[in-house]
Amino acid sequence: MSPLWLLIIILVLAIAGFVLGRARALASVDDHRELHSRPTYYGINVAMLAFVPAALVLGAWMLVQPLVINVMVSGMIPEDSYADAGALSLIMSDVRRVADGLDLAVSAGAMTEAEAGSISTEETDIRARLGEVGVALGSNVEPAVLAAAQRYRHLAKTGRAIMSGVVVLIAGAGFFIAYRQTNGQFRARNRVEAGILWLLIAAATVAVLTTLGIFLSLLFNTIEFFRLYPALDFFTRLEWAPSFSGRGGASALGILPLLWGTFYISLIALLVAVPIGLFSAVYLSEYASATVRAVAKPLLEVLAGIPTIVYGLFALLTVGPLLVSVFGEGGLLGVGWMQGGTAVMTAGLVMGIMLIPFVSSLSDDIINAVPQAMRDGSYGLGATQSETVRKVILPAALPGIVGAILLAASRAIGETMIVVLGAGAAARMSLNPFEAMTTVTAKIVSQLTGDADFASPEALVAFALGMTLFVITLGLNILALYIVRKYREQYE
Amino acid sequence: MKDNLEGRKLVDQMDVKFKARDVQVFYGESQAIKDVNVDILDKTVTAFIGPSGCGKTTFLRCLNRMNDTIPICRVEGDIRLDDEDIYAPEVDPVQLRARVGMVFQKPNPFPKSIYDNIAYGPRIHGLARNKSDLDDIVEDSLRRGALWDEVKDRLGEPGTGLSGGQQQRLCIARAVATAPEVLLMDEPCSALDPIATAQVEELIDELKQNFSVVIVTHSMQQAARVSQKTAFFHLGNLVEYGDTDHIFTNPVDPRTESYITGRIG
Repeated sequence: MSPLWLLIIILVLAIAGFVLGRARALASVDDHRELHSRPTYYGINVAMLAFVPAALVLGAWMLVQPLVINVMVSGMIPEDSYADAGALSLIMSDVRRVADGLDLAVSAGAMTEAEAGSISTEETDIRARLGEVGVALGSNVEPAVLAAAQRYRHLAKTGRAIMSGVVVLIAGAGFFIAYRQTNGQFRARNRVEAGILWLLIAAATVAVLTTLGIFLSLLFNTIEFFRLYPALDFFTRLEWAPSFSGRGGASALGILPLLWGTFYISLIALLVAVPIGLFSAVYLSEYASATVRAVAKPLLEVLAGIPTIVYGLFALLTVGPLLVSVFGEGGLLGVGWMQGGTAVMTAGLVMGIMLIPFVSSLSDDIINAVPQAMRDGSYGLGATQSETVRKVILPAALPGIVGAILLAASRAIGETMIVVLGAGAAARMSLNPFEAMTTVTAKIVSQLTGDADFASPEALVAFALGMTLFVITLGLNILALYIVRKYREQYE
Repeated sequence: MKDNLEGRKLVDQMDVKFKARDVQVFYGESQAIKDVNVDILDKTVTAFIGPSGCGKTTFLRCLNRMNDTIPICRVEGDIRLDDEDIYAPEVDPVQLRARVGMVFQKPNPFPKSIYDNIAYGPRIHGLARNKSDLDDIVEDSLRRGALWDEVKDRLGEPGTGLSGGQQQRLCIARAVATAPEVLLMDEPCSALDPIATAQVEELIDELKQNFSVVIVTHSMQQAARVSQKTAFFHLGNLVEYGDTDHIFTNPVDPRTESYITGRIG
């Protein structure tokens, strides 16, 4: 029985449980006001006990079964046919592909079930037979692999059968127990509430565990990188010059030029985004009429919905050439500061535009959170609108605005597509904002998308770069949250 | 019986500060104030009483054009401060509010230090020539707000850290610091306990030596204690206006009597 069918069965059981449980609770009393809980809770209770444990077992089984079968089958591969764990896992994926191919052949009618179980490499060309049903194999099938595949199919089939039995049994047992418990005195509401609590806890746990998982996946590769490349060099070297395997020679992998590019571009982006965003927030929240606000605020937030790759194209095709025509050789100013369209300034300006809705939307919320009483107090003393904004509202909202700016900054530091397209690829430490530079994120992309060996320091450095960025933005976010929280206490 | 009495008949013409004639206020389509005529005297405490929603706060906010900050609010009629039409196009509401100070229902100190709270008005209006001048204004205002002795050692601390009663007195001192001619108070004691209320009432009594004070209150005892003139509003009409003693002991209008004795409200 396939997992989907199993799921449908326990779902049907749960729905039946809901209807029957509700009916039983109602039947157990004369007047439904005598019930401890509302009738629906009794229904949900039966449905919950029928569905949840069975679904959990189903999920866990489907995760564990392939692992167990893998271990059992890999013993059948002769030890002299592979050198290390990597080669074994390649062979095992062949085994799975042959097994899947046999499944497909059987279901397509090209092979009988018995044939699939007894077929052998001496008599049949497996590769050709499977090719007929559309399963492409890279090489001829070894006898050991075929035997393993057949055993794999057998085990998987047995496992699924046991799983079906166990899951249906658990669902039935849950249904039965909950149904038996159902009567007017049973505290169904409390159990359903507890179930909802666990559901919410599970959702929160998934989010936290995912963060942890991302951190760990970076951590192990970062440690691996520092085993191959000295950490001191990575953090202090002023040069970024990876040499790709094949060309030979040692790589210089210093993070400082990349960090410099990141911070320089982020700084320009914030110099653009903070004044424009803040002023538009002040306009929208303090000056604009309700009609203007209703139109302008969504329009401004459209900026936040544009994919960053589109911003990157805008930088590459419009802003870059425009800047060159002003600051480039023979440009309007005739200064010749800019050599090409990709530069810190190009990426910084465009990234600044991207961040405007971030700053304005958050600041707008924060300015609106300043109590109306503050404005009244200031107007009542004869202050003008701009005096009120400058001297009362902005100081009151300042901590929140700083928090918003820090959040925007961590967005800027982590931004990738705009810098890949707009800032260039040269790792350089220069003060000239019209020169091409590159950032940590852009280099993570280029190090991992190249053809470098995955175990080489040139590829693994991407994880160390990612880890550094993660720590920096995490620090910024914690600082921002700390400031925002302090701000909240002010109005208590 | 007419809905509105002719205020000018009951008040002699000496020292009239505010003169309101045929004032109508609309919030969008609905009318909040109907044909209000009233003369508010200088160096006098005038109390506005009446049930909730009767328009007394709305009328108070007409006197310093705070209703301008509400987009749907429209004021008609004639309101004169020292015989100048305050709704005339050449009048700047910002300047008007410097002359007509306001204290609000809930204490609303700015999230700044006590000193900066008081110095806010003098600074934006350029009332102080130098730092020591400003120090004097702050001290004088805090003394008049009956708060100086309690806060003189901690002027640098945030005004929001004071107790509710102290915050309200801070707001009164802040309004006094801009040297207004009239002080409008919108239920200044409704968020305060009885002790703080007594302190604020005592303060109002002292303030009337220098200012004209208009106070909106829900407490008839308070109106009787602090005011010399009382105006009773009901459903947007000014029902009765006159000497406080007279209104409370011998009201002319049956609605006033019903309200004072607790039959409507």
